[in-house]
Amino acid sequence: MQVVLEKVSKSFPGNGGSIAVLEELNFTIEKGEFVCLVGPSGCGKSTLIHLIAGLERPTSGRLLIDGSPVTGPGRDRVVVFQEPALFPWLTVRRNVEFGLKMLGIGEAQRRQKSAQYLKMVHLSRFADAYPHQLSGGMKQRVAIARALAMDPKILLMDEPFGALDAQTRRLLHEELLEIWQTTHKTIFFVTHNVREATVLGDKVLEMSARPGRIKGGFQIHLPRPRRESDPHLIVIQQRILLGLKEEIAKVVKDEDLDYLVERME
Amino acid sequence: MKKKRIWRALAPWLFLLALWELASWIFAGVPSFVGILKLAARDFADPSFLIALAGSLKRMAMGYLAVCLVGIGSGLLLGRFRWLDDLLGTLVSALNAMPGAAWVPLAVLLFGLNEGAVIFTILLGATGIVVVNTSFGVRDVPPLILRAARTMGASGTKIFWHVIVPAAIPRIIDGLRLAWAFGWRALMAGELLIGSIRGMGQLISEAAKQRRVEELLAYMVIIAGIGMVVDGLVFNRLIGSQVRARWGSA
Ligand SMILES: Nc1ncnc2c1ncn2[C@@H]1O[C@H](COP(=O)(O)OP(=O)(O)OP(=O)(O)O)[C@@H](O)[C@H]1O
Ligand SMILES: [Mg+2]
Repeated sequence: MQVVLEKVSKSFPGNGGSIAVLEELNFTIEKGEFVCLVGPSGCGKSTLIHLIAGLERPTSGRLLIDGSPVTGPGRDRVVVFQEPALFPWLTVRRNVEFGLKMLGIGEAQRRQKSAQYLKMVHLSRFADAYPHQLSGGMKQRVAIARALAMDPKILLMDEPFGALDAQTRRLLHEELLEIWQTTHKTIFFVTHNVREATVLGDKVLEMSARPGRIKGGFQIHLPRPRRESDPHLIVIQQRILLGLKEEIAKVVKDEDLDYLVERME
Repeated sequence: MKKKRIWRALAPWLFLLALWELASWIFAGVPSFVGILKLAARDFADPSFLIALAGSLKRMAMGYLAVCLVGIGSGLLLGRFRWLDDLLGTLVSALNAMPGAAWVPLAVLLFGLNEGAVIFTILLGATGIVVVNTSFGVRDVPPLILRAARTMGASGTKIFWHVIVPAAIPRIIDGLRLAWAFGWRALMAGELLIGSIRGMGQLISEAAKQRRVEELLAYMVIIAGIGMVVDGLVFNRLIGSQVRARWGSA
């Protein structure tokens, strides 16, 4: 599926006026592409995911999915959230089947799908466990299986591995790439980890500090699996990091400024 | 480890009861606790006691059923519709501020000296806490799982029944557990004050009037025992373990 953003802005009402979170985003995610987006904390990455998912509306600009504007959530766009948003009262299997049940798909077919995707994320043995019995990485894998079971055209991933240790993350990277290569889904992957972005993406977009803008983009043509320490990647990583450092410096300065202004009042 | 904790829970009981037993040997007026327990055990072979107990339990069951239906029903509505909560929220708070026993005189005026008055007392004494817990449970569902459900095609009533209500269940059960305790007290208050209905409340008030202290204490032991058994066995063991197994908390 193709996602096109044309001058997409988003602001939230906040103390008195409105706070601009995203400003005039223009970019395209092509069908089958693996696009990563990196940006400093608080720059509006989750907000952007919510916009594409249809959970929020842009304040201005156009957001097109295969040519038609987004009007709300749809099963063609499923989100893997920053924290694993599993339903605690359902077993792993039933979590994976939840969306299918909402679609009115029968029991037998649901079973078959959940079994298939739990196998894909290597959690077949835990089908009858409850979420609180799983580790953080396992929970995120369930969330991925649940998203895949919806058979979406695009997978929107909001720092899905942010809370995991490096080894687990690497393992899940491998699994995700394998899934991407076998299912040919479009993936939009948000992270604040530059190395993660360069290892995974066909394209890495860099976002500025709030209000979030697209600062730049890097095409990465290296074959997968990639090594984080690949010299080509390191060059790209350095360039992205340099840009991000500027952004982070901006935020810090801004806040110092706020602080000083507050003290003067 | 587990054994240790059981002993820790039993220790203060054993200590107090030992003191009591000792006191009963020394002072003539103090009834023996062992005697009271024997009396309580013997009560269960006494048909007139069993009739009174059955009467109380029947009224409790009816009242509690009404509390569950009305409490959960209105709690779900108040949690779901903000405007309804704006409209009725303070009324529910007022209801919660009122001790169950304070409803008895009004209940008697409305229903007369009969079972209806007792059930009415239970209903008003215990419903508020269920309403509050249920509506809070509904409102406190984490936005994250609501968002997740929406991205998977759930909306409106589907979200309500498949996400919001199950997410609220631990809170609803908390409310029901408290309502059991409140209802049990309201039952006793009603039966005691009304006096003419065959039940546990009447038994203790008669025993007190006729200064049959040992019997009075035996009845009290039974009343507390039933309350504890339902709370500990039904709510903690049976339902609580289910909730812990699924929700991982509460
Ligand atoms: N519903 C909302 N109402 C008001 N402000 C909001 C809302 N949602 C997000 N914001 C603000 O928008 C900004 C961006 O938030 P967002 O969660 O998109 O950041 P993020 O880039 O995902 O950060 P992180 O990397 O820490 O997850 C923040 O300053 C936040 O306070
Ligand atoms: Mg975020």
